[in-house]
Amino acid sequence: MTTRPLARTLRPLFFIVAGLVAGPGTGPAVAASRIPVVATTTDLKALVEAVGGDLVDVDALARGNQNPHDLEVRPSLMVKVRRADLLVMNGLELDQWAEVVVQGAGNPRVGPGAPGRVDASGGLLVLEVPQAKVDRSMGDVHPVGNPHYSIDPGMAAGVTANIVEGLARVAPQSRPAFERNRQAFLARVDQALARWTTEMAPFKGAKVVVDHNMWIYFLTRFGLVEAGSVEERPGIPPTPSHLTRLIALMKEQKVKVVVSVPWTDQKLAERVAQEAGAKVVPLAPAVGSVKGADGYIETIDYNVRSIAQALR
Amino acid sequence: MRSLVGIGLLLTGMLAPVPAAAQDVEALRKELEEMRKQFDTMKDGYEKAINRLGERIQQLESRPQPAAAPPPATAPPAAAAQVPAPAAPAVALTAGELARPREPFSLYTQRGPGQLLFDMGVAGDFIGNLTQSNVDKANAGSFPGRENRFFPREIELSLFGQIDPYARAEVRVEAGEEDAGEIALHLAEANLTLMTLPFGTQLKMGQMRSRFGLLNPVHEHDRPFIDAPNVLARFLGEEGLVERGAELTWVAPLPFFLEALVGVFNGDNETAFGRGKLTSPLATGRLRTFFELGDESAIQLGASVANGETPERHRNTLLGFDAKYKYRPEGWQHPLLTLLGEMIYQTRRVDVLGEDTNGDGIQDTPDQTRTRNRWGWYAGGEVQPFRTGQLARWAAGFRYDWTQYPVMRGREWAVGPYVAFMPSEFLRFRLGYKYTERATRDGFTDNESSARKVDEILFQATFILGAHPAHPF
Repeated sequence: MTTRPLARTLRPLFFIVAGLVAGPGTGPAVAASRIPVVATTTDLKALVEAVGGDLVDVDALARGNQNPHDLEVRPSLMVKVRRADLLVMNGLELDQWAEVVVQGAGNPRVGPGAPGRVDASGGLLVLEVPQAKVDRSMGDVHPVGNPHYSIDPGMAAGVTANIVEGLARVAPQSRPAFERNRQAFLARVDQALARWTTEMAPFKGAKVVVDHNMWIYFLTRFGLVEAGSVEERPGIPPTPSHLTRLIALMKEQKVKVVVSVPWTDQKLAERVAQEAGAKVVPLAPAVGSVKGADGYIETIDYNVRSIAQALR
Repeated sequence: MRSLVGIGLLLTGMLAPVPAAAQDVEALRKELEEMRKQFDTMKDGYEKAINRLGERIQQLESRPQPAAAPPPATAPPAAAAQVPAPAAPAVALTAGELARPREPFSLYTQRGPGQLLFDMGVAGDFIGNLTQSNVDKANAGSFPGRENRFFPREIELSLFGQIDPYARAEVRVEAGEEDAGEIALHLAEANLTLMTLPFGTQLKMGQMRSRFGLLNPVHEHDRPFIDAPNVLARFLGEEGLVERGAELTWVAPLPFFLEALVGVFNGDNETAFGRGKLTSPLATGRLRTFFELGDESAIQLGASVANGETPERHRNTLLGFDAKYKYRPEGWQHPLLTLLGEMIYQTRRVDVLGEDTNGDGIQDTPDQTRTRNRWGWYAGGEVQPFRTGQLARWAAGFRYDWTQYPVMRGREWAVGPYVAFMPSEFLRFRLGYKYTERATRDGFTDNESSARKVDEILFQATFILGAHPAHPF
């Protein structure tokens, strides 16, 4: 008499548990469905979408307007990584927080050394690699080089090559499609790069000041020169004496532009620019960080247009 | 004739070695032939190897190329000096670099692949406190035995990283002042986590801070308060629930975060359990969930349970409930507001000695075992009201405590505001005040002194050297 009601009670429980265990995200993606991919930044998300096309379903951990250096590890990020077959990381110690997300997600497919892990910086020519002793007295330095390569359109070829390799590990049968998508995307980037280069050509050698040292790839690509930084040392508010020196340098070298990003101190950038007779140009540090920077090419378009307009 | 014989003998003597010399020439010829063959084989081998390398180079060249080096900026030397020359790719090591012995501890050289196979960090946490002399004498402050002192509470050396593709490990060794002037060194944590188990489960085993509640797993230097909340100190002891055993976690494949945890430990914690035997283990469990309340705020909720035996072989069950809320406006790098709280409810069987109720020297009530249902809680918060600039380094917070004592009669409450200054992500100072009021002096009467009301000024200085993992929510 008592076993039947108990069995009835337990049966739905069994199906719930079985459903949870066998539910989405616990096994490898079925070939027919989209490959669940998680990228740590919106730039990488855009590049994965460009390569993966309809074959991928991509989510980003950091939002475009968030500082990707120091993201808070929310459990909601673990839910995203839990479902992923591929995790694309920026590397160069920008997104080390993602390791803590992976540790909490319980998804061995994207664990360290797993086939579902892509370091998008692999094989890239890294700038500002310290050649001497570095320590924290220099601020929150990046000991393996400047990690902000993704906003340089010239890096798209290398980054997408790494993404293709990662996607092909997860879905080898789709490699030709990924390659086709990549070539089509790179053709669009090349076309745009020619346009951007022409647009920026008159300003070659122009000096700009940045509020955070994250534009070296972009500036170098278009022949601009970083004359200084509002942030004296990464992650540490500047001292008044540094700002005085910077303003004097800007006046002396006739620097017209202070490049800023949404998560830094806008008022401080404004004050420095005002004192030095320059203007603040808010650029898009990542895809989706500002209105009008919704895609990869659109974001660089936005940045080139903004800085060219300011230097005119 | 003699001369002819002599010439004959001479000729014979001269001609006799001819067959032997002919044999040597033949052998040399064979040897030469052999060497030629070997040379040809080697040549073929080298040619094949060269061809293979050539094919490989062609394959690599035909693959999509990494981005070219950005064009050099045409800038005057002074400005160009601020842009270091493009370095070689991080993976490219020269023959000299490959030949050089690797130095795993050379943290200040470039950390290329394989140079440092794990991370290490040092966290230092110093405490200073001032209080009344009776509190000092009675050892009844928030840091018992260290009243009116400045001391290292926790100097922690952490080593952590991947063991192999399947597991990671962490080892933490701590030194700190436990009694006035005495520094004790001990193993704080040493555990490994198997990360690739079926169904997305992970198994952590070794010595660890049990994931019971919100703050117990958090190291003291990482906590949002200078001192431990009273309810945790009373029910789990000053060290917290640090146990030896294993924890299994599972994140449910649901659209929202839900983590389930079960643990089995020795039960070494003397304040709450103390049986210390796997035959009567301490069993723990925890459910944790998390909800984003839009882009700017989020809340985490948790429920925990711990069930084990005391040294008297009585059962003790602790239930814990916790919540944490953070509000971080768009574009802020730190939360503007953090609120958190925890509650512990205890059901514990204890031995109660019989009493002499009428003072005649004879025990009137029998020894018995009773149940102590006790509880306590704390709630606190922190505001960091400025988004950027110098003022963004400042924060202010408070905590309110109310707790009963787990075994003896009585309760206490406390309130403690504080301010914090953080020159950088790796350095923090806190200055706080704490007022504690107890319902009874019982239990706080060392050295013929007592402390029912306690005023304390608390100071904390915390630094981090080297690697430190990102903080969870």
